[in-house]
Amino acid sequence: MSIAVELVRQLEAVAAENGMVRVEAFGVTAGALRGIVPEALDLAFEAASVGTRAEGARIDLEIVQPRAHCRRCGMEFAIAIDSFLCPGCNHADAEMIVGNEIILTTVTGQGPEGDDGEDQRGQERAGGQ
Amino acid sequence: MKINVVKSVLEANDAVAQANRGRLDAAGILALNVTSAPGSGKTSLLEATIPALGEALASAVIVGDLQTTRDAERLGRLAAQVTQINTEGGCHLSAAQVAEALAGLDLADLAFVFIENVGNMVCPAGFDLGEHARVAMLSVPEGDDKVAKYPTLFQPADAIVLNKIDLIGVLDYDTSRVYDDLSKVNTSAPVIEMSVKTGQGLSEWTDWLRARRGAGAG
Repeated sequence: MSIAVELVRQLEAVAAENGMVRVEAFGVTAGALRGIVPEALDLAFEAASVGTRAEGARIDLEIVQPRAHCRRCGMEFAIAIDSFLCPGCNHADAEMIVGNEIILTTVTGQGPEGDDGEDQRGQERAGGQ
Repeated sequence: MKINVVKSVLEANDAVAQANRGRLDAAGILALNVTSAPGSGKTSLLEATIPALGEALASAVIVGDLQTTRDAERLGRLAAQVTQINTEGGCHLSAAQVAEALAGLDLADLAFVFIENVGNMVCPAGFDLGEHARVAMLSVPEGDDKVAKYPTLFQPADAIVLNKIDLIGVLDYDTSRVYDDLSKVNTSAPVIEMSVKTGQGLSEWTDWLRARRGAGAG
């Protein structure tokens, strides 16, 4: 839930900065270790975004497989959620490189002129306003 | 219009966490984020730890719960400053809540700040509060498969406390399963077998705390 609240805050900031009247979709990249359940995030976001410019926006969620750096031998390796064992030295003393992050990557929305948001052609169709 | 952002959603929390750590560093305090399921014995551990550290090493506790001030009342009987945070449904503490709690504490003569997180094995793992070390706790009645089920809580831990060890023999509990699972998740943190009730493991735990503080809060 706190992730959804923070997402709404950042979406509002991006929308305000760029004169966006409505956010239609946004991209989120999350590390697999975060254990984000897409349905739970959708539900939390729905609740957190009521009455904001991001209400009803679609979440394009991409889950990133975690990678770690071994503090013992320095090897970089891919980890599974139930095993953080370094294939180089067989110790589990891993520092995450990716896998814990949640990044807002893109925001797609309607500009003040009725721009439909998808691409340049959208702007042309809405042109002249 | 499509805007490329690439902004961490955790940025606001992480920035406050860094500020908390800076504040604690400046005061020479070691802060610990204590996490576990509800009922593992976090509050009992602190009730035993604070007197054991002695008056020369004064502690404060920031305790998070969904509701009630019961833990703060328990800890308030000790010679320690205690601040209760009611998250009102929130399943973990945030760095901002800890910042607010720190503002209400007199940091001048403290050696340790224990942050007793909300009892939950999932969400607290993902949020930096500004602590210097993380303690993950589990207890015998919870079953011996906790590490395998909640690896993300144990992976970043700097110390692991296995509490209620006096119940081994009463309950079917295989400690070798815990050690097997930890061998795939975290081989750097010490595991302290503890019974807050009998006092077993308490001196090992306070030795670890003193050594960790001696090694520098950062």
